[in-house]
Amino acid sequence: MLVHSLEVETSPDRVVVLGARGFIGAALVAGLASDDVPSLALDRTRLDLLASNAASTLAGFILPTDCLVVISALTPDRGKDAATLMKNLSMGQAVADAIAAAPPAHVVYVSSDAVYPDDAALADERTPAAPASFHGQMHLVRETMLAAVFRGPMARLRPSLVYGRGDTHNGYGPNRFLREGQAGNPIKLFGQGEEMRDHISIDDVVELIRRTIRKRSSGVLNLVTGRSASFRDVAVAVGHALGRQVEIVGAPRGGPITHRHYDVAARIRAFPDFTPLDLQSGLARALG
Amino acid sequence: MSGLTVAFAGLTHLGIVSAAAAAEHCDRVIGYDADAGRVADLAAGRLPIEEPGLADLVAKGGNRLTWTSDVGALRSADLVYVSIDVPTDAKGVSDLRSVEAIVERVMPALSEDAVLIVLCQVPPGFTRRIPRPAATRYYQVETLIFGRAVERARQPERFIVGAADPSRPLPSSYHRFLSSFGCPILPMRYESAELAKTAINIFLAAQVTATNTLAELCEVTGADWNEIVPSLRLDARIGRYAYLAPGLGLSGGNIERDIVTLTRIAAERGTDGGLLEAFAANADYRKDWVLRALHHKVMDKSPNPVVALWGLAYKIGTHSTRNAPSVALLSALPTVRFRACDPVAELPSGGFPNLERFDDPIETVRGAAALVVLTPWPEYRDANPGAIARAMAGRVILDPFRHLDHAALVRSGLRPSALGVSQ
Repeated sequence: MLVHSLEVETSPDRVVVLGARGFIGAALVAGLASDDVPSLALDRTRLDLLASNAASTLAGFILPTDCLVVISALTPDRGKDAATLMKNLSMGQAVADAIAAAPPAHVVYVSSDAVYPDDAALADERTPAAPASFHGQMHLVRETMLAAVFRGPMARLRPSLVYGRGDTHNGYGPNRFLREGQAGNPIKLFGQGEEMRDHISIDDVVELIRRTIRKRSSGVLNLVTGRSASFRDVAVAVGHALGRQVEIVGAPRGGPITHRHYDVAARIRAFPDFTPLDLQSGLARALG
Repeated sequence: MSGLTVAFAGLTHLGIVSAAAAAEHCDRVIGYDADAGRVADLAAGRLPIEEPGLADLVAKGGNRLTWTSDVGALRSADLVYVSIDVPTDAKGVSDLRSVEAIVERVMPALSEDAVLIVLCQVPPGFTRRIPRPAATRYYQVETLIFGRAVERARQPERFIVGAADPSRPLPSSYHRFLSSFGCPILPMRYESAELAKTAINIFLAAQVTATNTLAELCEVTGADWNEIVPSLRLDARIGRYAYLAPGLGLSGGNIERDIVTLTRIAAERGTDGGLLEAFAANADYRKDWVLRALHHKVMDKSPNPVVALWGLAYKIGTHSTRNAPSVALLSALPTVRFRACDPVAELPSGGFPNLERFDDPIETVRGAAALVVLTPWPEYRDANPGAIARAMAGRVILDPFRHLDHAALVRSGLRPSALGVSQ
């Protein structure tokens, strides 16, 4: 589902990163620096996408040879309500207006697998997007907003649950479990942690974004490992990574159990020589 | 059958096989195609297709079987079949223009009494629109299966015939010809017959999809689909001839084409085509079994391995690589070096620079990290597992159809995997 414009990997003249202080953005900027790829790291202190002049300001930054990576978003830990949705859409509109006024060479939109329906037990890039949450709806609309104004190659990357060093969130999963374990607290599961999810290391997410940039790719790609694990298995793996016995406690379940697996055939086709970290290796890296 | 001349217009796979089989039943068979080069090849005994038993059948036809690019030769025919394979695009959408073109070309050449019979796979409504009197315009279902085409053309299970008015008897020439095969003749209205072939393929798709869905569950639950199959075959509601062999989705293109056709018709007419879409999605998904397995078992550890392929044809008994798993795999992994052999199939020259061809199966696997058996040619079964193990650099054997002796492979230190069994 991802089509490469460039046969041979070629770094762009510059990468403009929106959301450069966030979890993924900061890791990407560091990765680009290690590749010696010039980048313009824009965070809220340099560009407030909710400001009335955001579009024109951003347009002033973009050069025609740039690759623009859009990661900036108010994540669910900052709000799951309609007001947050509308702010996110306003930010998306500002980016779309800027792209319309000053199109770059390549756009990479970092979306989310929240665009897929919650009951899609086995998903791939062809799974119809039917987001149940404002967060998923926001990403889907923003994908559409940018595609509507940009005629060049645009990649829509949809990561699953991302974990690793530098996480600015504390969502249910590896990062929170690591924090709980490191603090000597029990790891608290919903139910018995039966739900299967695909957890991907930040290092793999950054690597896939870098490859997408270098191949000037367009289309949709899920940033996933293809190896789902239950939250209980993740908790056990965290214990192993910490090298000590960690108490794991269940709690009454609020909703039904859902699972999510990914078919990664499209990723294999896009990047045949890419292999994601297994959970244990990823957790070890997260611990540094 | 004295005095009857039967013609086949369009000499692709369907036309050539059908003409050769017809020559066993009438005094004269004319094979017509506008492609003079193709006709010259056939006249010289060079068959442009590979099909078991076809060369013998054509030879047996002798002087009764003639090939021509002169459309005027059809004037002497009592029955004229339109017999080209309908081309489809990459998405399985039929392109009927070639059928329409050949119908337009041959109709002026036919005698007034000649019966025109459309043998191609066309959607409901096609034959009724042909501007020819209903008494000399029919549709007949073809049941060609690549690799078994001769057998099925010579011994059809039944003839499904579409007519303007199925209550009226068939023209005597047509009836005599069909009766000579000694199988039931099922007349029905045009649209029913046109849909009947599709209906057969949809039921086959249902069986294939059910089999593949259950086979995958076996792969992750510790079950072995091969152990389950006999219990299904002995169930009269399923039956001994059911499609219960797991496969790499649907291949060959015909069933996919019918799914696409019916899905489109369902959308146009507002009927529920969800099941058909599920068949197509599952087929796409299972086609990638080898890709996933190869990545998981080999490329996770060695990103750019050498991989051996036994078989390029989409099935045994045919040279066709159309929609073949081999082509999909070669296309998906352009950075992987493949070594391949196949006794018959050819790929477009220069189409796959990552592919090297060999004649000998053991030479093919030399130095390979993995062997993938994609076409179960009989000679591969004779390959010595010890020789395979000694020649290969790796231990991984992906043999989706369980064509090789897996116990023997394991004894030689190899690690075979197949569809429908836990790895």
